[in-house]
Parts: sequence; C-alpha cells; structure tokens
Amino acid sequence: MIRVEAFRRLVTLLDKEPVLSNLGRNTYDLFAAGHRPQNFYTWGAMGTVSSVGLGLALARPDLRIVVLDGDGSLLMNLGSLATIASLRPANLVHIVCDTATYETTGGQASHTAGTTDLAAIGKGAGLSRVERVEDLGQFERTVRRSLKEPGPWLIVARMEGTTTTVKVPRRPIYDKYRFMEAIT
Amino acid sequence: MDWSTEMAKALKTNGYDMVAYVPDEVADRLLQLLHQDGAFAMVSATREEEAVGVLCGGFLGGKRGVLVMQGSGLGNSINALCGLAIGYQIPFLMVISERGRLGEFNSVQVPLGRAAPRIYEALGIQAFWIDEAEDIAPTVDGATQLAFGSSLPVALVLSTMLSGGKTWR
Repeated sequence: MIRVEAFRRLVTLLDKEPVLSNLGRNTYDLFAAGHRPQNFYTWGAMGTVSSVGLGLALARPDLRIVVLDGDGSLLMNLGSLATIASLRPANLVHIVCDTATYETTGGQASHTAGTTDLAAIGKGAGLSRVERVEDLGQFERTVRRSLKEPGPWLIVARMEGTTTTVKVPRRPIYDKYRFMEAIT
Repeated sequence: MDWSTEMAKALKTNGYDMVAYVPDEVADRLLQLLHQDGAFAMVSATREEEAVGVLCGGFLGGKRGVLVMQGSGLGNSINALCGLAIGYQIPFLMVISERGRLGEFNSVQVPLGRAAPRIYEALGIQAFWIDEAEDIAPTVDGATQLAFGSSLPVALVLSTMLSGGKTWR
C-alpha cells in the first residue's frame, strides 16, 4: 500500500472530519491527496500529533477526529497511547502510517522494521479497538468502520512511503485560523 | 484561603476549562480541586510535551487550557512549546511549581531550576513568579489577558516561598 493512495481513499470517505497530520511526509501526502480546510498540518514538535488529536477530540466530542501519525513519531510519544486509552475518547481515530523508516531524515530504519509492534503496544496501553491493516482494501474498510463506530481507534497501517515532492505552503499561523474557522 | 483554593478559583473565573498536567506533589491539592469542580476537562499526561500537545488541540477546538507541571517538566516540554504553541501562536496558561530553587534538597534538580528563568527568556515566554497567595487572583487575571491577547503561552511560577516546595521523603 502506497501512502498517498491510502490518503486519497481516506479523503473520499470524509465529510467534515478534521484530519491532523504529523510532520514530514504525512503532511506532504495529505496535502497532495486532498487539501481541505479541515486539514491541520503540523511542521514540528515531532511525536505530539496524537496528543493534539486527543485534545481536539475532548474539546469537540461532536466531531470525529482523524490523526495521521508516523511510526517514528509515535515511538517518540508512546505515552500518548496510555493517555488516550485511559480517557477513551470515542471520537478519536488514530491512524499510524507505519513505513518502518524515518523518511524525512533520509530513510533510516525505525524499530518497527525489527521487532517492535505498535499494535501490540496499543493493546498493552489499554486500547481495545486496535486494527492492523496491510493493503488498500483493508485500509478503506477499516477506516470506514472507524468513522462510524465508537473508538478510540488505533489503526496501524503498514505502508510504503511515497516520494511526493509537492510543496506544501508552510504557513502555520494562517493554517491555524483557517482550520479553526472550518471546524466551527 | 490557601493558595491552591485561590488558584482554582482564579482559573475558574478566567474561563479555563481544560487542564493538562503531570502529577506533582505541590500542585496535588490544586489538581484535586479542579477535578472536583467538574467543569474542567482533566488530562493526566505521561510527559509534559504530551500535555502541551493536548492543550494545543484543545485550543483548536475552543478550549482554554492550563498546563500544570513541576519545574523539571519545563525541560521536557520545550520542543512542543516551540513547534506547536509558539510556532502556531497558541495561547494557554502554564502553572509551574518551582524545583531547584530556594529550599531544594535534591542536587540534580538544581541545574534546570537554575536555568529556568533564562529558558523562559530565550523562548520568549513571559514568566511571572508568585510568592504570596494574595497575588494569585490579579496575576492570573493579567496573565490570561496577556496570553490570549498575545496568542502565546504565559508562565506563572509558584515559588517555593508560596508553596513550601516539595517534601523530602
């Protein structure tokens, strides 16, 4: 499964749901797959996107919140899985695009290339709706369910990274206001 | 009134409704009061960076946040403060119980405590030290206006003179 194709499928399943992407290639590919005012692109603070998603999910229980995380990023903030599991926000869909590499720093292997299993860690943290997906069909079916059925969801999707070279405008402050207006 | 009650009242009066924290002895009673109030979304985070992320997400969704942590947590929170709160101009109030300053008993808490004032300065985060319980209400009022007026986090440091500091157990 190629990430940008997975994101194209994801975008077709969405209505007004906010999507938060972690820094680097997830942000590039989300922009390329379908820029929309309800997308919030992060550019730094590696590892924190799952926490931003949690805060937004708690603030807006009326909205289904989708987080696009990376394996390297989540490995930096594994504690967020425990926090999410403890608070159980039913409207949080946490998708980990597991490419087993640190793509933006040159493609070095992450620990998920070896023995580390993020889905098992999610279960150990106390999450119950944990799914592993390997191909586009599974990805689409699982995401479709996660947008309807109560979560919190953790979807660990094995993917290949992409070589998207799209230039995403880096304008965090503008994006913040645009995003907040779009989800009001 | 004790400082914890003063602080809980001031946070309520200023419209805060989300608290992300890492458990702390000094702030324990304050956190209990905020829990009991029932009007605050309370998030016990595993690390201070995570708490910053939660408050930034909360702000995007309309919440007004408070970060409660020990001074040592400042070190853990820096990249999130820079890459989210300052980078995106997201305001919240930081309530920090001081470590490594007057009365510190643990030598390894000292380096960060000593560096903290210059860390705030280097980050461009305005920090105000509170020594007296009677200063809490006006300081929280002013810091709230400053934070939400400038779209940046503002730090209130609970000095060990105010809180008595951490107990040597």
